[in-house]
Parts: sequence; structure tokens; C-alpha cells
Amino acid sequence: MTRLNVLLLVVLIFSSIYLVRVSHESRRLFADLDKARSEERLLDSDYEKLKAEKQAQATPLRVEKTARDKLLMRNATPAVTQYVSRSGAVAASGAGASQ
Amino acid sequence: MSWLDKAKVGASGAKRSTRKLQGRAPGANSRAVTYSTSPLLASKTPPWRSKFLVAIVGVAFCGLLGRALYVQVIGTDFFQKQGEIRYARTLELPASRGRILDRNGQILAASVPAPSLWAIPKDFEADSAQRKQLAKLLGMTTKDLADKLDDNQNFAWLRRQADDQVARDVLALNVKGVHQVREYKRKYPEGEAATHVVGFTNVEDQGQEGIELAHQKDLAGRDGTRRVIKDRLGRVVEDIGDSVAPVDGRDVQLSIDSKVQFFAYQRIRDAVAENKAQAGSVVVLDAKSGELLALANYPSYTPGDRRSLSGEQLRNRALTDTFEPGSTVKPFIAAWALETGRVKPDTVIHTAPGRVAMGGFVISDAHPHGDLTVSEVIQKSSNIGSMRMGLMFQPREMWELYTQVGFGQKPQLGFPGAVTGRLRPYKTWKPVEQATMSYGYGLSASLLQIAHAYTVFTNDGEVIPITLTKTDTAADKVPGVRVISPATAKTVRQMLSLVTGPGGTAPKAQTIGYSVGGKSGTAYKQEGKGYATKKYRSWFVGIAPINNPRIIVAVMVDTPTAGKWYGGDVAAPVFSDLVQQTLRTLGVQPDLDVKTQIITKQVPAEDESF
Repeated sequence: MTRLNVLLLVVLIFSSIYLVRVSHESRRLFADLDKARSEERLLDSDYEKLKAEKQAQATPLRVEKTARDKLLMRNATPAVTQYVSRSGAVAASGAGASQ
Repeated sequence: MSWLDKAKVGASGAKRSTRKLQGRAPGANSRAVTYSTSPLLASKTPPWRSKFLVAIVGVAFCGLLGRALYVQVIGTDFFQKQGEIRYARTLELPASRGRILDRNGQILAASVPAPSLWAIPKDFEADSAQRKQLAKLLGMTTKDLADKLDDNQNFAWLRRQADDQVARDVLALNVKGVHQVREYKRKYPEGEAATHVVGFTNVEDQGQEGIELAHQKDLAGRDGTRRVIKDRLGRVVEDIGDSVAPVDGRDVQLSIDSKVQFFAYQRIRDAVAENKAQAGSVVVLDAKSGELLALANYPSYTPGDRRSLSGEQLRNRALTDTFEPGSTVKPFIAAWALETGRVKPDTVIHTAPGRVAMGGFVISDAHPHGDLTVSEVIQKSSNIGSMRMGLMFQPREMWELYTQVGFGQKPQLGFPGAVTGRLRPYKTWKPVEQATMSYGYGLSASLLQIAHAYTVFTNDGEVIPITLTKTDTAADKVPGVRVISPATAKTVRQMLSLVTGPGGTAPKAQTIGYSVGGKSGTAYKQEGKGYATKKYRSWFVGIAPINNPRIIVAVMVDTPTAGKWYGGDVAAPVFSDLVQQTLRTLGVQPDLDVKTQIITKQVPAEDESF
């Protein structure tokens, strides 16, 4: 009887210490998880920001300016465009030239 | 032998000695309490003292019990709450506002994080050099900064939604009492080009103008909350209770094409500068689906810069400014006259001598014409010719015609600020009013309404509703209202193409490769009760390509002062450029013959090695 009690006491003490340990661990992990989650949110919004910024760098205004000034490009007119229809036949926009 | 047995022996020993003591003083009248085995230490203590002691301990226990009962049962709510205040926290989970996209998925507005800087003035500690630098970074004077900090001892915003770099520099100064908090702000990549459509939000992320306001409910998310337990270090260690997940705002996809939109804005901006005009507007409509491809106004503003968010540049002129549509209604009059069989395209109408007196007014043409066919009336924009056709109708007929194509009706666009225009009930019309109304005076409409009215010609006689949101499938398409027959619509389209041909009022509307048609308009500006002299408004509404229309473009220039003021001279070139660019962007094949410049250069062939 006595031995059993002693044994139970020892088991109880160990169990309590283990409980403390586990709950501490779980709190630590939960805090880590929470930190990771908020980091995820941060990265998400940064990603969104970068996407918007990327587009702001590629607005038609800038593209056109660069194309005109740096690359010396001109607007394509129907006169220098060859339209190809889906069937594969070349539909010459410059039909006037062939006549 | 265990310690328990020893204890028993000790206890029996104590009993024995008690008996001994009692044996010694049997004759004492008060029973003494023995505290020790040693007789020397024996003292005579009255028994009530021990009882008293027991009673005190008992009472103390009762007190504890009562307290426990109070804490655990009676006042439990209060104590629970107090406890929670000390460790539980409610965290706000911010929902992000939805994006606004164009028809190709390009971002027109998105929420991005932006740091806001704030200070606790009573903690604020900085030497004069630091103050100077801080003020410089925040873009204010040292005095402004001091005023800001003086306002409230506990809290002051230094700068909300600052640039990342500014925030980093400010924090690098390491001034005590200055903090940073993460907020969200709207970013508008297309800037001033699309801002009249997109609108903007205030600093609290509430839509104030445009789509941001019209779709506020969809765009705004619902913030969530969660209850957590925080430990001493401020880390979240446990979730408690139910958490409410944040609901992000929905994205709104518009029918706007950002490329067309940009080009429309750029072109109207240039035209306003070129003609030294006050303002200008452009509307580009998809002729088949009624989708708004572009809507631009100049002057415009940068939505990201809060200082520019006031004044008249905010006005979305294409929707809010009404004017008398003038010559642009003539095709409707001609169409109805044709539809009801009153005239044929080649019926001759007498317009000589170019002036007609009626009801105290003189109706005149800019240039006197002789006899004109109906087609020529449209081509040369004769007021008198149009008036003669208009006077063939009953007032009610004309009123119904105008109402059906949307004049005097609020555009069903779901956009804030779209005006109704003015079309008085036909019962109050005087004959002269019917006459002026048949060439576009005496009623008013916005540029958008005029563009909308022209869908009747592009859709084979059906007027279709316009929309600002992308319609993906044919199922989304709202059926139109038939006004005129397809044959009449086709005839009028041919007349409209004559306007841009030789002998028309707007040959400058022509494009390379695409057939176009349209109607120019010029009017004196209304000022007060009458018309201002030397102040004009010029506009042009047209469709392209003429046989299978894809787009409707309406251009309006307000008060051009650079010597040209006819719609055919001021607005038509803008129309021409826009049609050219837009149709190319949409991949529409040219329907006119163009002298091709794609030629193979004749060069001698290299000799093949073999």
C-alpha cells in the first residue's frame, strides 16, 4: 500500500512537471505560429504592393515614352500591317497595292 | 519501522506524561493545560483560552470561506473580467480592400501597406538638429512640427501613409517618442489618366468618388477579430473564444481598357493644350456590348496626392456637364423621318436663303445652302434642313424619339454624379421650340448620353444600355430597345460617313484604313440666360468602322481659344487619332484599301554554294 502511494506520488510529480513542460512548449509553438502567420500577411501585402508598383512602372505613358524616345519606334499604321485571318490566308490590308 | 510508527510512540508518550501531571495536582479547581512534559514549564492556563483560540481560527476560516464564496460564486463575473483584462487581448484582423481591375486584369487601384508615423508628445525628446531634420523629412517647418506636437499631449500623427523611405529615415533618426504603425493606402498605377473613372478613397479607406464610391460595399472588406492570451513578452500564446475571420473586399472588374483609356486621356490633354481650351472630355464605347472602354477628362488630377483632391479638376465632365447637343441630334431627326417614310435619302429640302424667321427668332445656317437632299442636310449640317424635317413630326413623336435614345433620362450606369440632362415635356413646347429642338437646341445632355444615343445606329436600330463592368458572355448582354429598323440605321450610317468625306463638315475625322462616320457639333456656350459670344463648345461623335461598327467615340472640347472652334476642326482630329489607335489595339482589321508600304526590296540573290 505504502509503496503504491509512493509510486503514485512520484508519477504525479513527474506528470505535473511534464504538463508544465508541454504547456510551455505549446505556448512557445503557438507564439511561433502566430509570428509566422503575421509574417505571411506582411509578405502577402508586400507582394501586392510590388505588383502594383511593377504595373506603375509599366503604364502606357512610360511604355510609349520609352518606345518613342529611346527605341525610336513609331505607331504601326494599317499601311505597314499585314493582317492574317484565322484560316491562315493572308488578308492583305494593303489590298490596294495588289490591284 | 517507519516514521509513522515513531510518531505513534511519541503521541502515546505525551499521553502518559499528561496523566502524570493530572495525578500531581488533582485538587486544583481549574484544569490546567500541559504544554510540555517538563513540570517546570507547566503553567496554569484557563481552558477558555484554548477554546477562544480555536474559535478565532474557526472564525478566520469562515472568513476565508466567505471570501472564497464571494470570489468564486457571487462576484465571479467581475473577477473573471478583471483577470481577462490583464492577459486577454482582442486583436483586430484587418480586411484588405478589393482591387479595381480593367477588362484585361490590369490593376487600376490596389491597397498597399504604407507606414504612418505618430508621436507621443510628452515622450518626445529631440535636440534642435534632430527637430530640424525631422521636420525636413516630413516636409514641414519646425514651427509646424512644434504646433503639431503641442496639440495633444498623448498622441499626434506626424504623417499618415508616408513613403517607405521617409518612414525609414525618420525612424533612423532615433527620436524618442516617435513611432510607426502599418496602415494601408490605395495605389493607382494609372494615375491621372483613369482617375475620373476609378475615383479615390479618403484616408480611412472609404470611397469618395467614382467606382471607389459606387462600389464601396463590394470593395470594402469586413474586419475580423480574435481573442487571444498574451504573455509577459507580448507574444500570443493561446486563442480563446471564437474568432471572426476577416472578409476581404471583392475585386471589381471594369469594362475600361487601360490602353484605350490612357490614349484617350493623352489625346484630349494634348487637344486642350493645342486649342488653348478650358477643358475636354472623351468617351469611348464598345458599339456592340455597350461597355465603356474609356472615359477621360482634362483637367485631371493625381489621385495619390491628397493636396490635389479638390477644385474643379475633380469634375467628371463627360458625365456631369450637360450642354445642348446641337447638330449631333440631326441624324436622329433624319432617321425618324426616314423610318416613318416622310422622306427618302434623296428627297430635296429647300434651305435657301439660309435664314428663317419664326416666332420672333431667326434660325440660320452658318453658310447658306440652296436645295439639299436629306443626306446633304446631315453632311453639311444644315439647321434649316433639319428643322424642316423636325416640323413634320408631332411634338409627342419627337419627344418619344429623344426619350427612347436616352435624352432626359438618367444613365443606368451606377456611377455617382451622372446627370439626367434636360428634355421638357412635349405638352409645354412652343412651335419655335420644336423647331430649335430638331437641330439640338432647347434640350441638354451629357457627352456620355450623346455617345449612348448613337448606339441606336451601331446596333441596327436598337439602343443598348451602357455598362461600366465587364460583360463576359453573351448571356450577360441586356437586350436593347428597338427605335428604328436596321435598314434605316444602315442608311443613316452612310449619311454619317458622308460627314467625314469631302464636302462634309468633318473631313479631319478620317483615319487611315478604317471607314468612319460621325457628326460634329459646335455651339455658343450658355452663360446665364443667354449665349456667350466668342465662347464655343466643340464636339464630335462618331462610329467606326462604318459598316460593322465596333466603337463609338465622343469628343468634346470646351472653349477652344486658339482660332479654331468648329467641331470638325477641334474635336474631329482627336476622334480620328482615337479611332485609329483603339481599333488597332482591339485588333480590328482595316476595311479600307490602304496603299501598303510593305514591299520586298529587290536585291540580287547570293549564289548558293553547292
